[in-house]
Amino acid sequence: MNRPDRREFLQTGAGGFAFALAPEWLAPPPRASEPLAIGLVGAGRQGRAILGELATLEACRVAAVCDSDGSRLESGARRVQGAQSFASHREMLEKLPALQAVVVATPTHLHRAIVEDALAAKKHVFCEAPLASTVEDCKAIARAARGAGTLFQAGYQARSNPIYQLARSFVRSGVLKDLALLRAQNHKKTSWRTPGSTPERDKELNWHLDSALSLGLEGELGTHQLDAVHWFLGRYPVSVRGTGSIRCFQDGRAMPDTVALEFAFQDGVRLLYSATLANSYEGRFELFAGSNAAVKLAWTAGWMFKEADAPTQGWEVYANRQHFHNDEGITLIADATKLAAQGKLKEGVGLPHTPLYYALEDFVRSVAESKPVACSAADGARTTIVGILAHQAIAQKSEVAIDPALLEDE
Amino acid sequence: MILRLAAAAMGTRFELVLAPRDARDEVRLRAAGEAALERVEECDRRYSLFRSDSLVSLVNREACAREVRLDEEAYALFEVCLDAWRASDGAFDLTAGVRCQAPAAQTQQEPGTELDLASDRDDADGAWLRFGPPSRCLAPYRLDPERRTIRLLAPDASLDLGGVAKGFALDQAAAILRENGLGLALFHGGTSSVVALGAPPGSKGWSVRLAATGERLELCDAALSVSAPHGRTLERDGRSLGHIVDPACGASAPLGLSAAVSGPSATLCEVWSTALVVLAARGAHAPGLPTGYAARVSRASLSLPSPALAP
Repeated sequence: MNRPDRREFLQTGAGGFAFALAPEWLAPPPRASEPLAIGLVGAGRQGRAILGELATLEACRVAAVCDSDGSRLESGARRVQGAQSFASHREMLEKLPALQAVVVATPTHLHRAIVEDALAAKKHVFCEAPLASTVEDCKAIARAARGAGTLFQAGYQARSNPIYQLARSFVRSGVLKDLALLRAQNHKKTSWRTPGSTPERDKELNWHLDSALSLGLEGELGTHQLDAVHWFLGRYPVSVRGTGSIRCFQDGRAMPDTVALEFAFQDGVRLLYSATLANSYEGRFELFAGSNAAVKLAWTAGWMFKEADAPTQGWEVYANRQHFHNDEGITLIADATKLAAQGKLKEGVGLPHTPLYYALEDFVRSVAESKPVACSAADGARTTIVGILAHQAIAQKSEVAIDPALLEDE
Repeated sequence: MILRLAAAAMGTRFELVLAPRDARDEVRLRAAGEAALERVEECDRRYSLFRSDSLVSLVNREACAREVRLDEEAYALFEVCLDAWRASDGAFDLTAGVRCQAPAAQTQQEPGTELDLASDRDDADGAWLRFGPPSRCLAPYRLDPERRTIRLLAPDASLDLGGVAKGFALDQAAAILRENGLGLALFHGGTSSVVALGAPPGSKGWSVRLAATGERLELCDAALSVSAPHGRTLERDGRSLGHIVDPACGASAPLGLSAAVSGPSATLCEVWSTALVVLAARGAHAPGLPTGYAARVSRASLSLPSPALAP
């Protein structure tokens, strides 16, 4: 691996990103002459969070909310002034031709039909991730997006997150030196159930506990973290193995509530991943460990932990630090040098917006400025396919090879 | 059979007590309870002053300089708080932490945003307020009903929803429980704000004790909030100062005061329990509470006329 000296690092590495990234992510979102008219399909938990973020973006307006469930539709529509309500996305597309973009936040296995219809109607599409629950659907979505003539952004949020952008340039500049190990986890105590008023409705709402429809913890949650790893490294694992079991919620479910996976990359580097619904300790993070330093990312914050023998970087004099038991983490803050000069370094800790906001803002900006999206359909499909194979590895209790041909564009 | 669920949010612990009939019912109740707690966590993410990515932090960063757009939920909440500011003659104020700073800030108030307290009073006996010299109080922020935006009206203003966010989260969470058919539950946030659904079998309500007075209440389909300056204090010049500040003068309300308000909405209970402490500190009589609310203000040396608390 390259070992940039300090001058080179300051030009291309952390010193560079501390200055270079700030203007873009601190700038207010673009304001087109007319706000982008958006229709939201799926007003569940994620859909409602999306509505909250879209409301603060000046460059767009939510013109329609769509959900097949009456109470969810009402709850979603209540959050938006003047939005029309629809029980079906086809009705929405038919009755609102002025709609310019569609945000898809339905259960994963329902994405494909909605995406294909929206793209066929010449709408720009933001689709929550994972993109689909089968390889075939992933490929179909990628094909539809490629030939649509409108923009498609997959909802993997790390690529829009300023802290992750900062950390990625860091990792790719070689500051970690020899990459040894990757770790990631998503631990949160919850039954992951949604209450339903009838047994039928209960089954419908709890699709993520249904092995036939859901990609489980590793796919539905884990692929967001996998995508960060793929994006940072610029490559995909070649195999995956894992185990899953029910450790906490013996409530009739078949889907494991605890999983552990090992992804192998071509060069021998391993990503160790775990997810559990039994315990919340340390929540969700990704860790890139190299022989000079480790970078830990937790979505709204990030840190670098240096080895004692690692060279000192010039910008470290400005650094804000946090202690974690015996370790000292240097907080990753975009625009750190400038904030330090103003005596406001601590104010830069943490993101000023949610990771979801940045993903949606990127989408709206891409449409307004006809710029490439943060995460394309092809990139989103590749990460989703790796997640699908990870899900298979747990179900089959065996190692699954990840054929590079499967990840190629058709 | 009792099922207890909890979540850490807003710097405190929210706890929910449910009573499932059997193991099968427990699965259903746990799912509904978790949905309610997730709503609390969502409120924390949106309204916390201590999260850089919250909506309140966005407003505090940007709404002094420009109008910030809100979704309907946030707009409605800020509207309720502005109404309470008017109704309490400024005793309840989301910007209380910075309001004491400023004649300079007040001179920059935009035209048409002032509320003349003298002319807006509607008290029958005309004796319930004893403000200091200022007879005009300044609106903390302006809401645009057309554009659904908020604008802070002092250059250095910032909002702190504090207990109101807790009450709002409890209201939202209780609504989720009701939507899911739960009629029996007790839900509290940091023990200072509580919502009771239904009444345990054989009782008129959930038994709740007021720590300040030792009084026991039975709550049924109602919320209760208690505010007391001693709940959070800081030391200054060898003195303990409570966290409730009179927005009109910046003075900390005396320790030992406390106000309890019960009624249908935990949000309004939080609003009015804070306002009543401030009004009591001013030596003022309490204004008329919204219909359906009852309050009690207590201090050894102070007893304010107010409706009885128990329903």
